[in-house]
Amino acid sequence: MGSRWIVAALSGLVLVPGTVALGQLRKPVYVGSEVCASCHAGPGFGHQFSRWLLSRHARAYAVLARPEAKLIAELSGIPEEPQESSMCLGCHATGAEVEEWEKDPSFHLEDGVQCEKCHGPGSEHVEAQRHLNRAAQLEAKMEIPTMDFCMACHAEKGSHVAVHQRPMLDMEAAWKEIAHPTPDEWSRAEPLGLPPPASEDAAQYVGSVACGACHRGPEMGYQWSRWKMSPHAHAYAALATAAARRIADEWGVAGDPQRNAECLRCHTTGWHDPAGGFADGFRLSEGVGCEACHGPGSEYVPEAIMRDPRAARLAGLREQSRETCLACHEKAHGKPFDYEKALAEIAHPTEPARQAGGPRYKTPLNMALRPDGQELYVACEASHTVIVIDVARRTKVAEIAVGGQPNDVTFSPDGRRAYVSNRLDDSVSVISVPARTVIAEIPVGDEPHGVLTDPTGRYLYVLNTLADSISVIDTESSTEVKRLSASRSPWSLALSPDGAQILVTNNLSRFVPFRTPSMSEVTVIDTERAVVENRVVVPAANLLQGVDWDPSGRFALITLNRTKNLVPMTRLLQGWTITNGLGIIWRDGRVDQVLLDEPGICFPDPADVAITPDGRLALVTSSGSNRVAVVDLRRLIGLLEEASHYEREHVFPNHLGKPTEFVIRHIPVSHSPRGVVITADSRTAFVANALDDSLTVIDLGRLEAVGRIDLGGPEVITQTRFGERVFHSAKVTFRRQFSCHSCHPDGHVDGLTYDIEPDGIGVSPVDNRTLRGILDTAPFKWEGTNPSLSRQCGPRLAVFFTRIDPFTPEELTALDRYICTIPRPPNRYRPLGAELTEAQRRGREVFYRTRTNDGRIIPKENRCATCHFPPLYTDRRQHDVGTKGPYDRESRFDTPHLNNIYDSAPYLHNGAAATLEEIWTRFNPYDQHGVTNDMTKDQLNDLVEYLKTL
Amino acid sequence: MSNQQSLCRSPIALGTAIVLAIGWGLPAVAAEGLPYVYTDWKHFTVKDGLPNDHVFAVRVDGPRVWIGTEDGLACLDKRTGRIRSWKEKDGLPWRVVSGLDVDPKTGDLWIALFGGGLARFSGGRFDHWHQLNSGLVNDVVYGVAVENNNVWAATTAGASRYNTVTGEWTIFTEKNAPMEEIWNYAVTYADGKIYLGVWGSGVLEFDVATERWKDYLDPDREMEIDLYRDDGIVHVITTGTSFVDGILWVSSYFGMSRYDGRHWRGFYAHETGLPSDFGNAVKGRSATEAWFATDKGVGVLTDFATDTWVTYTMEPKTHKGRAVVSRGTKVLKVVDMERCLPHNYALWVEFDGNDVWVGTSKGLGWASGPDYYPGLKVEPIAGEEGESKNAARLAAAEAMKQSGVSSEDRPQ
Repeated sequence: MGSRWIVAALSGLVLVPGTVALGQLRKPVYVGSEVCASCHAGPGFGHQFSRWLLSRHARAYAVLARPEAKLIAELSGIPEEPQESSMCLGCHATGAEVEEWEKDPSFHLEDGVQCEKCHGPGSEHVEAQRHLNRAAQLEAKMEIPTMDFCMACHAEKGSHVAVHQRPMLDMEAAWKEIAHPTPDEWSRAEPLGLPPPASEDAAQYVGSVACGACHRGPEMGYQWSRWKMSPHAHAYAALATAAARRIADEWGVAGDPQRNAECLRCHTTGWHDPAGGFADGFRLSEGVGCEACHGPGSEYVPEAIMRDPRAARLAGLREQSRETCLACHEKAHGKPFDYEKALAEIAHPTEPARQAGGPRYKTPLNMALRPDGQELYVACEASHTVIVIDVARRTKVAEIAVGGQPNDVTFSPDGRRAYVSNRLDDSVSVISVPARTVIAEIPVGDEPHGVLTDPTGRYLYVLNTLADSISVIDTESSTEVKRLSASRSPWSLALSPDGAQILVTNNLSRFVPFRTPSMSEVTVIDTERAVVENRVVVPAANLLQGVDWDPSGRFALITLNRTKNLVPMTRLLQGWTITNGLGIIWRDGRVDQVLLDEPGICFPDPADVAITPDGRLALVTSSGSNRVAVVDLRRLIGLLEEASHYEREHVFPNHLGKPTEFVIRHIPVSHSPRGVVITADSRTAFVANALDDSLTVIDLGRLEAVGRIDLGGPEVITQTRFGERVFHSAKVTFRRQFSCHSCHPDGHVDGLTYDIEPDGIGVSPVDNRTLRGILDTAPFKWEGTNPSLSRQCGPRLAVFFTRIDPFTPEELTALDRYICTIPRPPNRYRPLGAELTEAQRRGREVFYRTRTNDGRIIPKENRCATCHFPPLYTDRRQHDVGTKGPYDRESRFDTPHLNNIYDSAPYLHNGAAATLEEIWTRFNPYDQHGVTNDMTKDQLNDLVEYLKTL
Repeated sequence: MSNQQSLCRSPIALGTAIVLAIGWGLPAVAAEGLPYVYTDWKHFTVKDGLPNDHVFAVRVDGPRVWIGTEDGLACLDKRTGRIRSWKEKDGLPWRVVSGLDVDPKTGDLWIALFGGGLARFSGGRFDHWHQLNSGLVNDVVYGVAVENNNVWAATTAGASRYNTVTGEWTIFTEKNAPMEEIWNYAVTYADGKIYLGVWGSGVLEFDVATERWKDYLDPDREMEIDLYRDDGIVHVITTGTSFVDGILWVSSYFGMSRYDGRHWRGFYAHETGLPSDFGNAVKGRSATEAWFATDKGVGVLTDFATDTWVTYTMEPKTHKGRAVVSRGTKVLKVVDMERCLPHNYALWVEFDGNDVWVGTSKGLGWASGPDYYPGLKVEPIAGEEGESKNAARLAAAEAMKQSGVSSEDRPQ
C-alpha cells in the first residue's frame, strides 16, 4: 500500500497529515480517493468508491487526451496540452490549483474528479473518523455539494457545446446518476490486503500510475489515458455492479466479488501472480493495469531501461500475447471473445498522437533584411518559424523553427546573428545566420514584440509588450542586464540614422484620469547609455505601432489611431470613432499628427511604416483595408512647415482632406498587411500579408505591386482562418474605418473605456475587455445582456459599433470561431504546478477566507470565491458590488473572469480602477465587493499577488 | 585676493597654521597632519532657481545634481549651471520631496514624497505609487533606495519594497522584521544589504541574498543617557545610516555611531567636532571619514584613527563661514571663510567625487574640493597669516564649543 493514510487507517498508527514541510501543520490536504476507499468501499458503504470508479468523473482527466479535448482547448484559446492546462484541469481533475505540499503522496491528479473535488480535501475528515472524535468529526465535516456547486464546472460552455454538439447537461438526471448514498445501516469492512510476495527475488508491481509518469502525453500516444478510458481500468470496480453480483451468484460466490480470489484473478493486476509483491503506490483498484499484461515493472520501469528494448525485456517487460488475453477472456462469463478485434480496441502504440486541429498557417508579421541585403527574414507567428527569403530570386529558401508566436526579427550589425522575439514563450531566439539554426534562447519579459540592436551590436533591445518594459540584453553573454520602463504595451522600435537614439512606440495610452483623452508615448532611448532619455507625448492618440526614421535624422514617422472613446460612437465630428494616421516625431521632441483617412474611405489599422533610404517616400500598411499608402515626404513635410502652429495642433490631426495632399498612391496588397521593409537601394519594398501567408513585392519606381512571394502556407482557408480575416478587416464598418483588431490588438485590449451608445455623452462608459479565452465566459457585455458571441458580434455590433450592414451569417460564424481560438497566454505568475510564493500563499488565504480579521463571519455571498471560483474564477452572473457610477444605467454588472487578470488593466466595468489595489482602496467603501475594509495593507498586497496567479 | 581668502582655499596654508599652532603649545598629534578643509563654497537658493530653500535630499548622477525640496524637485546641470525645477503643476505628484535615489542601471530617479508616496522620474515622465493605487504601505515616505531591481521606501508605517520587474510589493513592519517601532526614517543600500534607520528601533540590516534581518539597538536601552560607553548604537532613535568600506555610520538625534563589525564607537558633540548631537543625516565617505548633518552645522570626522574633525558652520549674523579643525576636544585650527554652509540646519550630505553637496534649511551648498585628499596630510611651512590672529580664533572656537552654538541657527 502506497498511502500512509491507508496504513494509518489500518494499523491505527498516529500519522498527522502533512506535518513535514514548512515546519508547520499542513492541513487540510488532499489524500486521494484510495484513502476515501479505505472506508467508503464495499457493500457496507453501498460500494461508493466503485460507483465513482465507474463514473465519468473518474475518467475526467483521461478524456483530456481525446481529440475532442484538443478542439475544445483550441476553442478556448488554450495553447497547451489539455492535460497540462490549469484551465482544463480545473474541472477535469481534483486540486489542480493547489500546491504540491497540499497533496498527500497517495493523491493522484490522474484520478480526475474524485471525492475531494466535491467534498473538499479529506485529511481532517479522515483524521477525525480515525479518532472517532465526534467534535472533530463535526468540525471536519466534509462539504456536501449542491447542484449549484456542480454548475461551477457543468454550466454550459460554448467550447464544449461547439465540439460535443450536446444539449446542456440535465443536472437532475446527472445528480441521480452519480448518487452514492451511504446506507442507513452502513458498515465498514477492513480493506482487503494484498497477497504476499511469491518470491523475494522477483520484480514488484509498481502500478499503472507509475507507468503513466512516462507513458502519457501526445508524444507517447496518450497511452496511460487510453488505458484509463478502457474497460480494463474499470475491471475491479465492475465487480461491485449488479451484473457482477449476478455472475457471482451463478458461480456460487457467496461474498463480495471484490474479495473473491477467483474474481480478482482476472479483474485486478497481479492478484494471482504476486511475484515480488507490490511497491508503494500500487492500487488494486486500478483493475487490469499495464502490468497485468506486461509483467511486474519494478525492474524495467527506469526510463533508461525502457528506452532500450533489449534491456527492458531482460528486466521483465513482457510482450503482450494471445495467451495473456485468453487466460482471462476465453469464454469469460459466456461472452464471445474476438482476440483481433479486442487487440485493436486497446491498441496503444508508442508513437506520437496525430496532431488535432486544422492546417498550420504561417501568418508573417514582421521582417528584417540581412545587412548585406541578400536575404529577408520573416517572423511567422502561426507556424512558430522564421522564413528565409532570397531577395534576388524572391523565393523562400529556408524555414527555421523558433519559439512560440514569433513576432519580430532583427540582425546583428555584422549579419551573423538574427534575433527573434517569441511572444508566447517570453523569449528571444538567437539564430546563427550561417547555420540557419537557433543557437540560444534568451528569457525576456512578457509577450515580447519588437527587437533591435544598437549600432555596435552590443545591446539588444526587446520590447516586453505585456510587461510595459524593455529588456536590454548583452549580446555577448546573452543575458539581460537591465530592464527599462516603457509606457504601456511597447510595440515597435527604430534606430536613428546616427545611431544615437532608438524610438519605441507604445500601443496603449498611458493611464489617464477617468474620462480624459488618451495620451500616448514614444519612448526615446539613449543608445550610448542604454537609458530612457525622453518620453515624447502624443496627445489624443493611441495604438502607436509602426515607426521608422527619415534618413536625415530630422524626424521619424509613427503610425497611430485617434480613438474618440469619450463621446458616443454616433458622433461624426472630426472623423467619427477611430481615425487613422501618422505621427511625425521631430528630433527635438515636437509632435505633429496627420490623418491617412479621407472623407469617403479610411485607412484602417495602420500597422507599420518604412521610409525609403533616399528619404523620398514612406510606405504605410493598412492591415484593415489590405492596402499600402505611399506618402510623398517632401509634400508632407512641406505641408507642415508651411502651416501655422494652430493648424498643426488643432486642424491637421483631425482633417480628413489633408491626406490627398501627400498620399500619392494606394497600392492594393493581400490580406492584413503588417510589416513593411525597403531595400537599401530604395527600389523595392516587401510587405508581409499576415493572413495570406505571402509577401507582396512593390516596385518603388512604378509604385505598384509586381510580385507575390508564397511562404508555403496551406492552400485551404479554414473557417477559423476566414474568421481571422473578418476580424482584421474593416470592411464591415462605416467608412471602412476600423476592424475588430483595432480595439482588440493581439486579441486583447486597447485599454480604453468607451462611450458606445447614443444615450448621451458619458452615459454608461464601459471598459474594453479581452477576447482571450472569452468563449466560456458567456454572457457577454458588462451588463451581461448578450447570451452568445453571435449576438455580441452580430446585431449588437452593427447597431452600436460598425453602423452598417452586419456580418453575413457565414462571416459571423467564422468570426466567432476565430475569436474563440485567440490564444490565452499561460499565466506568468504561476506556471502549472508551481509552488506559490509566501505572499501568494497568504493571499490565497485571504481570497478564501470566511472570517474577518476580528472574527466576524463573512456572509457567503460576500466572499471572493463565491463569485470568483476556479478555474474561470467567474460565476458568469451579474452582481451589484457597489460600483455604479452617476452615469451608469445599471448597478449589476457581469462578474469578470480573473484569468491573467494582471494584464488587462484598467479594472471594473468602467475602467475606473487603474490598478488591482484601487478596486478595494477606492471603489469598495461599503464592503459590497467582498469584505475588504478590515484588511491590512499587507493583506491586500498578498491578495493582489495571489490574484495574479489565477 | 586677500590673505584670508588665500588661506581658506589652501590646505597648504592649513599645514602651515598647524605647525605654528604647535609652537603655541597645541597637542603634538598635530604632527600627524591635518585634514582637508573645504573652503570654496557656492550656494543655491530660490534666487538661483531652486523651487524651495528647504533642501531635504540631494543625489548626484553624473553631471546632474538632483535636489529634493519642501516644495518641488530640482536638477542642477553642473555643465551649464542651469537649474530646472518641477512642482506639482509641472507633474511632480506631490510637493514635498524628502528622499532621492538614482537607479544605476536605468538612470531613473526615484523620489520619496513626504505625504505623497513614491515617484519615479524617467525620461521626463513622473510615475506615481501611493497607498491607494499600489502596495506602498504608507504615503509618508522619508527615504528611498534602489537595490538591484527593487526600490525600498522608508515610511512612517514600515518599509516597502517594490520589485520593478515583477511589480510585487512587500511590506516590512513589526510582523516580519525586528521593528520595535515602524517609523522608518532612512534607508540606504550598500554591499548587498539594506540599512533602515528606524525611529525607536535603531538600525535594521536586511541581507538581500538571505532575506534575513539583523538589528542594531542600544544595548543599555536607556533613552536619556548612554549608560555604557560604546556598547552599541548610541540611541535607538536613528535618523540616518550609511555603509561604506565595511563600516556602518549612524546618525541619531542623540549622537552618532560607527560600527566596524565588531566594535561600536559613539560620538557626541561635547567630546568631538560634532556641532550637535542632533543628527539629521550621515554620509560615510570611507571607513575613516563621515559627514554628519546636524541642526547646528556639519561635523566631519575626517580621520577616525586620530579622532580628527572638521566642523563647518555659518555665522548667523554675518553669514560668513567657519571651519574648525579639532582633535578630540582640542581645537587645532580655525579657518574663516566668506562662505561655507548656506545654513547651520543641515539636512543632507552628498558626495560628488572630490566635491560635497550639503542640503540645508536655507538652500543648497556646494563645496568644491579639486585638491581634496582623504585622511591627514603634513604640509611644508608656508605661512601667510599672523600667528596672533590665528591664536585668537582658536581661543574663540574653544569658547564656542564650550558654550554651544546659538539657537539662532535653527530654522524658522
